[in-house]
Formats: sequence, structure tokens, C-alpha cells
Amino acid sequence: MELLIQQLFNGLTIGSVYSLVALGLTLVYGILHIPNFAHGALYMVGAYVTLTMMVQGGFHYLLAIVISILVVGLISVLMERVVFHPLRDSTPIQHKVAAIGVLLFLEALAHYIWGADYQQMPTPYGQVVKVFDLTFTMQRILIVVTAIVVMILLYLFLKKTYTGATIIAMSQNREGAYLVGINANKVAMLTFFIAGALAAIGASLTSPINLVFPSMGHLVILKAFVIIIIGGMGSVPGAILGGYILGFSESLGATYLFSDYKDLIAFVLLVIILTVKPQGIFAKGGV
Amino acid sequence: MLELKNVYVKYGQFTAIQNVNIQVDAGEIVVLLGANGAGKSTTFRAISGLSKPVSGEIQLEDQAIGGKSPDQIVKTGIVQCAEDRKLFTQMTVQENLMMGAYVHRKKKNEMKKRFQEVYDMFPILYEKRKDTAGSLSGGQQQMLAIGRALMSKPKIMLLDEPSIGLAPMIVEQMFETIKQINREGTTILLAEQNANAALSIASKGYVFENGKIVVEGTSEELFSNEEVRRAYIGA
Ligand SMILES: Nc1ncnc2c1ncn2[C@@H]1O[C@H](COP(=O)(O)OP(=O)(O)O)[C@@H](O)[C@H]1O
Ligand SMILES: [Mg+2]
Repeated sequence: MELLIQQLFNGLTIGSVYSLVALGLTLVYGILHIPNFAHGALYMVGAYVTLTMMVQGGFHYLLAIVISILVVGLISVLMERVVFHPLRDSTPIQHKVAAIGVLLFLEALAHYIWGADYQQMPTPYGQVVKVFDLTFTMQRILIVVTAIVVMILLYLFLKKTYTGATIIAMSQNREGAYLVGINANKVAMLTFFIAGALAAIGASLTSPINLVFPSMGHLVILKAFVIIIIGGMGSVPGAILGGYILGFSESLGATYLFSDYKDLIAFVLLVIILTVKPQGIFAKGGV
Repeated sequence: MLELKNVYVKYGQFTAIQNVNIQVDAGEIVVLLGANGAGKSTTFRAISGLSKPVSGEIQLEDQAIGGKSPDQIVKTGIVQCAEDRKLFTQMTVQENLMMGAYVHRKKKNEMKKRFQEVYDMFPILYEKRKDTAGSLSGGQQQMLAIGRALMSKPKIMLLDEPSIGLAPMIVEQMFETIKQINREGTTILLAEQNANAALSIASKGYVFENGKIVVEGTSEELFSNEEVRRAYIGA
């Protein structure tokens, strides 16, 4: 029983990070129909910026995360302006190639700046909390709480503000959005900023319990794609639900089924869910 | 008010419209007639900035607008109700209308006034304001598309086949509504295959064939033109 609760909490932790990363991916896909393979590289850069700000800059963990959000958000916007915007009238395959190009570029850059070594991110929240017979680290609690708060804020932004509604409008009907006078460039830049920020938050939260290295984004982005395919490409609730479904499946599967193959669970899940619901759980575009 | 001079639009290698010249005066209803694929929607796409003309000029009140982006065009006062309506289907009726007022988003009072006008014109939209656009019937969706366009308080509205797919009774209402919008001060450029109804409310028209304008004239002239009668009105 305790093991089950412990594993459920682990699932919640991993799922929170997956959801944050998948949300950024799905928002960008929703408005521009670009499968942004470079999103995993943003995640990686987010971890490095936070790490550098803490270790070299001497900033507090939380302040370092704020800086990372801004830096990665801006890199993401820059990527939209310099790479995807000029390609707006080209074919989907060109978008994919460009996205992979950005991914390779950012990884090479990370190698150059930070080296190939695995690095450990310190955290001021390493203490262990005991609730009844269960032990949780503060870091894991921080991950869950922060992720949920961020998701609620994002939901309120999309649903309750006019600016947020422009993102939803554009994801539901791109030309419809143009025809009411919505500025496509503004929406694209804003969406890329949010996506970058979410990747930075996800990476910075999870790095103290994982490791930081140049290819750390690979598995995460692969899983984030699985999540948004499961949840419905472009769907916001789909990304959140999909993230937690995967998080729980992995933590429970690793404990009760096959611990050595836990990274396979995502793909098993993909096959099962798409067999039942080929379009994913949610149709695209809803909030 | 709105003028197209020698406008050409291509999709890839294919020239969809060529040498299109259109003039719309303030307060008018002007109709573009023509069969499917004749080039009406492409002309609208060019005016709205969705497709860039490869050559030619588009002017609104003597200012060149060809080459502007769609959002800039809406700001100049041209709004389009597209053929496939392009609604935000998972948003509510009210949210759709709110997005229609995007150019007035910072003016609370103007926004209120716009809502009032649109709901007065289409009471059914008020009744259904909390429903998603996708759940409306075809006729209601068309009303919502027109309502959303009106929310921007346009000088000129481009209406692309508003009667398509609607029951005859609703079509009649639709044309009444178009007349009313025009009476209240909005200039209208209408694309239609239903030549009879369109010419009865328009002051003049242009007939498209294979991307070119082949006949133009006042509604009376087009009505009495043998060729037009045979091709578009029937007997
Ligand atoms: N997106 C597009 N890509 C390629 N060809 C198109 C596209 N849209 C329309 N066309 C072609 O352009 C021509 C004019 O179409 P359109 O302007 O839609 O005519 P209408 O609105 O009068 O039915 C047609 O031959 C049509 O097949
Ligand atoms: Mg058409």
C-alpha cells in the first residue's frame, strides 16, 4: 500500500514535468502546425541556464529559474522569427527539417559552452518530509505544486484574457483569426515564448532529481510527442491529461511490471490508445 | 471606395484570376457572379490579404492596400465573411463575436455597442450565446459569421456565397439581412451563384469566367443580358 502511494506520487511528479513540456509542444503545434523537434533542445538549454545561474552566478534556485524562463523564452521567440517565420509559406517537410536543424544547432552549442559531462544541479529543497509512513523530498513536492500552479495560470490566461483567447482562436481556425484582424506574428511570438518558458520550468524543476547533459532533451521530447499524439495534437487538456497518464503508467509499470523497460511504456501506451481513439483523446483546439 | 486594378493572383504556377478590375462605391451593394471555380473567392482572398496578388493594385479610399497583411487590412475597415465561414467552432457564440471585435478590443463601450447591434439583428445568437459555434445549424453559423464580421464595424464587408447550403427560406432572410446591413451604412461586395436574388439587391455586378471578368454592368443591364440570363439566371 505504501509502495503504491509512493509510486503514485512519483507518477504525479514525472507526469507534472511531462505535462509542462507537452503543453508547449502542443500550443506551438496548435497555431502553426509545426512539430517542433527543437522543443527538447529548449528544455535542455533551460536546465543549463538555471544550473549556470546557480553555480556561476550565485543566484538562488528560484531566481535562477526565473532567469532561465526569460532566456529560453527569448531563444524560442528568436527561433520563431529567424527560422519558422521565413518558412511560413513552405511545406511541412521543410518545417520538420528546420526544426531538426535547430535541435542539432542548440545541442552543438550546449556541447561547446557547457561540455559533454553529466552535471548535477543543486537544490535548496533536498530535505525529506515524512507524512505518516511516507517520505517525500521537498523537491518533488515543489515540482508537483509549481507545475499545477503554472498550468492553472496558463489555463486562466488562455480562457479568461483576450490575448490568451487569440492563441485559442488561431489554433481553431488560422484564417478565421487573420480575418478578424488578429496579428499572426504577435500570436506566434507569444506562443513560442510560452512554450520556451514551460520547457525551462519543466527542465529546471526536474534537473535536481535527474542529471544535466546536452542530449537530456531527447527522451523527453520523444515522450512529449507521444503525449500530444495521445491527447490530441494541439489540445491543451489533452497535453495535461496525456502527461499524467504517461507519468502514472511509467511509475506503476516500472514497479509492478518491468522496471528495465520503463521508457518503452510510452510507446506501448501510444499503440493502445491510438487503436481505441485514432484521433487522440481530445479533438484539437479545445481548452 | 474600393478599387481593384489589373489584379492577378496565382496559386503556384496556376493563374487563378487575371486582369481583374472592380470598382465599388461607398454605400453600394456590388455582386460578383460566376460558376464554381470562376475566381470569386480568390478575388476576395486578394482583397483581404490572404493571397498576395502577383501584380495589380488594390486601393481603399485611394490608399494602396495590396500587399498588406490580413490584420492590417481589417484595420483599414475591410472585413470578409469567407465561404467556409471560418468560425472558431469550439468557442462559444459570444466568444466568437468578441474575437470579431479584435480591432476594438481596448474600447469597452464600443464593444458593448457592437454586441447590442449584432444581438438586435440576430436575436437567435443572443439566445445561443453560450453554445459553441460548432453546435449551431448552418443558417445560424452563417449569421454568426456575419455577426462576427459586423463586430469590427467595417466600412466594407465582403460576403462570399452567404446563401450556400442554406434552405430557400433562410436564403431569403439572408438577403434581407444583407440589405439591412447595407442600409445601416456598410458597403457590400457580394459573391454569389444565386444571380437572381443577388442582382435584385445589388446596384451592379461583374461576371467571372475562368478567372476573368467577362461581363460587367448595372443590375438591370445584367438582368437583360441574354448571355448572363442563359448562364446564370436560367431562361
Ligand atoms: N488554394 C488553392 N490552390 C490552388 N488552386 C486553387 C486554390 N483555391 C482555388 N484554386 C483554383 O482557383 C480557381 C478559382 O477558384 P475560386 O476563387 O475559389 O473560385 P470561386 O470562388 O469563384 O468558386 C479555381 O480553378 C480553383 O480550383
Ligand atoms: Mg468561392
